[in-house]
Amino acid sequence: MTNPYVPVLVLMAVAAVLALGGVAASAVIGPKRYNRAKLDAYECGIEPTPHATGGGRLPIKYYLVAMTFIVFDIEVVFLYPWAVDFTTLATFGLVAMLGFLALITVPFVYEWRRGGFDWV
Amino acid sequence: MIPDFTAPLIDWAALAPLLVVLGAGVVGVLVEAFVPDAVRRATQITLALAALAATVVLIVLRWGLIVGSDGAPGVSDVLVGGTVMVTPFALALQGTIVVLAFLGALVVADRTSSGQDAFAPTAAAVPGTSYEDLARRAGLQQTEVYPLLMFATGGMMLFVATDDLLMMFVALEVLSLPLYVLCATARRRRLLSQEAAAKYFLLGAFASALFIFGVALIYGFAGTVRLIGDEDKPGVIRRVLSGDAPLDGMTVLVVAGILLVLVGLLFKLGAVPFHAWTPDVYAGAPTPITGFMAACTKVAAVGALVKVLYTLVVGLPPEVGEQLRTVVIVVAILTMALGTVVGAVQTDIKRLLAYSSIAHAGFLLVAVAGINLESLRAVLFYMVAYGVATVGAFGVVTLVRERTVVPGRADGADGEDGVVLGEATHLSQWAGLGRRAPWLTAAFALFLLSMAGIPLTAGFVAKFGAFGAAVAGDLWWLAVVGVLASVVAVFFYVRVIVLMMFTPPAEEQLLAGAEARAQEAATGTGDEAEAAEASSGAEPAGGGVATETRTEVARTVVTVVGSRGPAAVAIAVCAVATLVLGVFPGPVLELAGEAIKFVP
Amino acid sequence: MEITNYAVLACILFAIGATTVLLRRNAIVVFMGVELMLNATNLAFVTFARVHGDVTGQVLAFFVMVVAAAEVVVGLAIIVTIFRTRRSASVDDVNLLKG
Repeated sequence: MTNPYVPVLVLMAVAAVLALGGVAASAVIGPKRYNRAKLDAYECGIEPTPHATGGGRLPIKYYLVAMTFIVFDIEVVFLYPWAVDFTTLATFGLVAMLGFLALITVPFVYEWRRGGFDWV
Repeated sequence: MIPDFTAPLIDWAALAPLLVVLGAGVVGVLVEAFVPDAVRRATQITLALAALAATVVLIVLRWGLIVGSDGAPGVSDVLVGGTVMVTPFALALQGTIVVLAFLGALVVADRTSSGQDAFAPTAAAVPGTSYEDLARRAGLQQTEVYPLLMFATGGMMLFVATDDLLMMFVALEVLSLPLYVLCATARRRRLLSQEAAAKYFLLGAFASALFIFGVALIYGFAGTVRLIGDEDKPGVIRRVLSGDAPLDGMTVLVVAGILLVLVGLLFKLGAVPFHAWTPDVYAGAPTPITGFMAACTKVAAVGALVKVLYTLVVGLPPEVGEQLRTVVIVVAILTMALGTVVGAVQTDIKRLLAYSSIAHAGFLLVAVAGINLESLRAVLFYMVAYGVATVGAFGVVTLVRERTVVPGRADGADGEDGVVLGEATHLSQWAGLGRRAPWLTAAFALFLLSMAGIPLTAGFVAKFGAFGAAVAGDLWWLAVVGVLASVVAVFFYVRVIVLMMFTPPAEEQLLAGAEARAQEAATGTGDEAEAAEASSGAEPAGGGVATETRTEVARTVVTVVGSRGPAAVAIAVCAVATLVLGVFPGPVLELAGEAIKFVP
Repeated sequence: MEITNYAVLACILFAIGATTVLLRRNAIVVFMGVELMLNATNLAFVTFARVHGDVTGQVLAFFVMVVAAAEVVVGLAIIVTIFRTRRSASVDDVNLLKG
């Protein structure tokens, strides 16, 4: 039991039990009331519409979500290497990263104030 | 293999010009978020102009430090560990960019006596929808224009002042992305505007991808993306010279890389064969933005091109340098030829100015191809001369408008009746402008003469310098080609001047105007008078629709709207600068002479 | 595996992307071509970083990713605006400015 990877194995086992167990439990004991919406194809939460002539409607708000997502996705791209080398970069890295985060917040605030999240 | 980390020293004072402009952009975004509608526009304009003015002051202060006095070298120009490198040449370019951006911003800020600026109430609205009408009636404004201008300007300033190809790429994007968006924001002819933005974006993104792949190849060859570098971290040319580039010998890698990088830069410059976007984008973008873009982007592109080319031509083996020079020469000749020849047959004033700007890119490349210090001085002066003429000319274009005529008073006489529409860009509409607005016409003629390179204007001194630089670089035949091209170019500038001054204003030419109007209606407009047509404009012209609209909109006349101040100031400053630089070019030439201390 | 293979792969991907940009008519697909070019660049950067044994190339790849994302945001916004106006994303339909 000295192998350092044993805890990882245990963690994976626990995760598997939780995930599979959850699915199994809901299949066994959960209520089953199907309606049209539940049986429909899942399209990111919008009602799946057959494509009307000319391409149908584009729910534009999802582009806003996608763009917001990209902003934070990018944030992680820079945060990750910084976190890996956090100790070496020391104060300079911390200050630089705080500045970066502050700048990322600015467009976020803009989007929020101008109603970019009002669709929720 | 990870080297020990030492935090780079950051000389905040030296970075201040850049930081002020970019900071104003960030603050501008916050202003958009928090300042109430009523005062937002005024706040944004004040912020933008104040930031640009402050930057000019900071650059002047920095100039004294960096140039040094009487032979003594100034302070170091390497900042932030070399990623930013503000040589006197770069600082001079930055100064040019900021001054031109200031003038451009004045034109952008002007609402003219029609009470509307050049930008759509909400650029995201679909043209011709009720939502757009609603936005217009609510008096919404797209004041995001100003922060975007600030970001673009900041990107340009960084673009010319870096030793690091990666930083150059980032700066390229920082300057391009706002411009793509700005192109799509025109208040009128919105479909054209959106189309311009899409073209600019797709081609621009393609060019940046070529640029960055070129950087990747150079990195593969040299193991660094710094051009010059320093003792600790030698850049590309140092490694080549000392023969310790990791893949030394695979010259094909670095040559391919440099060519790809040059493509990216020549695209921004609008040089043939990478010019295809220029006329469309210049014609489709809101005119004040076109002026800003045409002047400032060109300065930035030339600055970066000179930086890359001169460093590498000097640093690489002579035969490689010679080949690069040949490329520039060929591109210069093609650019001059195409710009002047195709420009001569244009019938739209904005497209004509676009081809003129292509031709100017060619003349600039003639100077660049000289590859000597004289060239650098010529390039600097040329940029100033071309920049003021361009900002001024597009400023004039914003004021020449179409106006509907109220039925019953269709005499076309000047009066306040009718609704002022978009710009009258068709050349035939410019006939006889001299009688309607003598001062404006005189200013426009002056800008055109300067672009043509007539003596006593800035353009003459600039062209003289450019061709002189080519001769100094043993390219006298290229200079001859340049002179021939500028003779041809004189033709199309003078054609416009003759049209404005000596052709009678043509109410009888209403038909031509009507055609332009019908086309405009077919391409989607956003005007009070035309809400009805705009819906038909949402679909590209069906024949019947176009005919119908033509009869409806035929009664428009050309009118010159008054400036509310800023644009008039900008045009006046540009006109005076064009004259003064033409008559007394000495001081500016001297400044440019001090700026050509290039490689530290 | 020979490391130059990765560099060759990057070049091939880049060429495919460039060809896509030049030949395809749908603005979204053209744009995907550009993205492919940028990702090929990333592969080249990482490969060369491996060749040289320094991490600069990897850092450069991060920057390219970020720029690519920024381009996606701006580009999609422009393309979607046009699409909503015209119900078409074909670059051939975008031809009002010919001349």
